[in-house]
Amino acid sequence: MTETLPTLNKLERRKQDMELTYDDGTTYTVAYDDLRHACPCAKCSPMRNDDDASRTLRRQIEALPAEKPHIRTVGKYALGFEWQQGCSSGIYRFERIHDLALRRDPDRGRPYVHGAW
Amino acid sequence: MADSPVTITTPGSDDAASAGPSPQEQKQMEQAYAQMKRKMSMEEIGRNIKHKIMVLSGKGGVGKSTVSTGLALSLAQQGYAVGILDIDITGPNVPKMMGLDGRRLHVENKRIHPAQGHLGVKVISMAFLLEDEDTPVVWRGPIKLGAIQQFIGDVEWGELDYLVIDFPPGTSDEPLTVAQSLPDIDGMVIVTTPQQVALLDSRKSITFSESLKVPVIGVVENMSGFTVSGTASPGSEFSVAAPGGKTITTSADGEGNFSFTLDIFKEGGGKSTAEEFGVPFLGALPFDPGFVRGGDDGVHRIVSEPDGPSAVAFSKVVAAILDQLSDGSDGGLEII
Ligand SMILES: Nc1ncnc2c1ncn2[C@@H]1O[C@H](COP(=O)(O)OP(=O)(O)OP(=O)(O)O)[C@@H](O)[C@H]1O
Ligand SMILES: [Mg+2]
Repeated sequence: MTETLPTLNKLERRKQDMELTYDDGTTYTVAYDDLRHACPCAKCSPMRNDDDASRTLRRQIEALPAEKPHIRTVGKYALGFEWQQGCSSGIYRFERIHDLALRRDPDRGRPYVHGAW
Repeated sequence: MADSPVTITTPGSDDAASAGPSPQEQKQMEQAYAQMKRKMSMEEIGRNIKHKIMVLSGKGGVGKSTVSTGLALSLAQQGYAVGILDIDITGPNVPKMMGLDGRRLHVENKRIHPAQGHLGVKVISMAFLLEDEDTPVVWRGPIKLGAIQQFIGDVEWGELDYLVIDFPPGTSDEPLTVAQSLPDIDGMVIVTTPQQVALLDSRKSITFSESLKVPVIGVVENMSGFTVSGTASPGSEFSVAAPGGKTITTSADGEGNFSFTLDIFKEGGGKSTAEEFGVPFLGALPFDPGFVRGGDDGVHRIVSEPDGPSAVAFSKVVAAILDQLSDGSDGGLEII
């Protein structure tokens, strides 16, 4: 990724979404449902490889009760979102969060391959 | 591990023959009890060891064990209490690198005690279980993972500042088992060499980390460049044909000393992989034939040359790791 990533200065958790403020002055909102649908963990990711499964994942997430996540920083490069219900496993790199803010596919069109090492 | 350090006596099991559990039930209870005890002791270990670092790579032979032992020794050099856990069952070579070749498992009061290697680093290795070096243990899936859990749960580490965990190469369940057994792992250090194949594999490791819920502390590039030094007549200039069709021109200084670095593989691959994934780059370690010798004669490079270029490179990587571990907490981000 050659483009430089602005630094996330502020994250405000609201009822249904979070508001992100970057150091370049830009502000975005990301809906929790979109965030959770983009979970990079090994269980959620493969579901996005396939359109039907992806929609199923989406429906499962939308069926969960609305809640504000607990947020932890992961090193200096990512955030983890802890939910009372549903998946809390994924580690979201700041780049991924920025992609979501810009409404870009955070997987960049690449299918997920599990444990491929 | 046929001879488990954990045993159990069930109270009252030898009175009235009628009410007692069947041998099979008894066995199940013993197993459940051992499991529970192990879980508790893993949690205790989690508390007594301040930081736990996994060392992984996508590809074999890139220098995980060299880096694991180097990090452990470099941390010990700085005065930390350090342990190293060698999870590699098929080819454990940490003991050799730590001058502990031929050691066997030391069990006392049903607890496994680590051996002490160079600079007081505590070492536990699957090699301590081997009958002889050349016969690898062939344990299949569940037994292997059970042995790892036992190794984690039954070792008397005492208080440690850092535990470095060295893994075998290739696709495996070991990192998953360790991540699930040991609470609060700080993260993983991914070792790569600057070759394209190794880089590709380390990308997979980074993706894997995200799914394991274990953070990537960063990427270390090993065997990065080979430095040649020597003497020539002072001020003389010369050029060297380097790999990749490049020419390096250099000159001897006023005292006639010169040195230049050859990039044996591709230049800067580790850094660009780290950048591409937005994970920290922890630094590069030079290609140093002394590592190979150290692996053979049991005197690690950091011990044989504590102020040499390789030891210095390691201390820089350690500094970068400590930097990542110290204040991951804010980074200026305000969460409301
Ligand atoms: N920086 C280096 N310079 C020179 N030789 C090195 C360097 N790092 C590692 N080596 C050598 O490369 C070989 C493989 O290193 P090592 O055993 O540490 O790799 P590994 O990734 O642990 O291997 P495996 O995947 O089999 O566990 C060893 O002979 C070691 O001495
Ligand atoms: Mg190794």
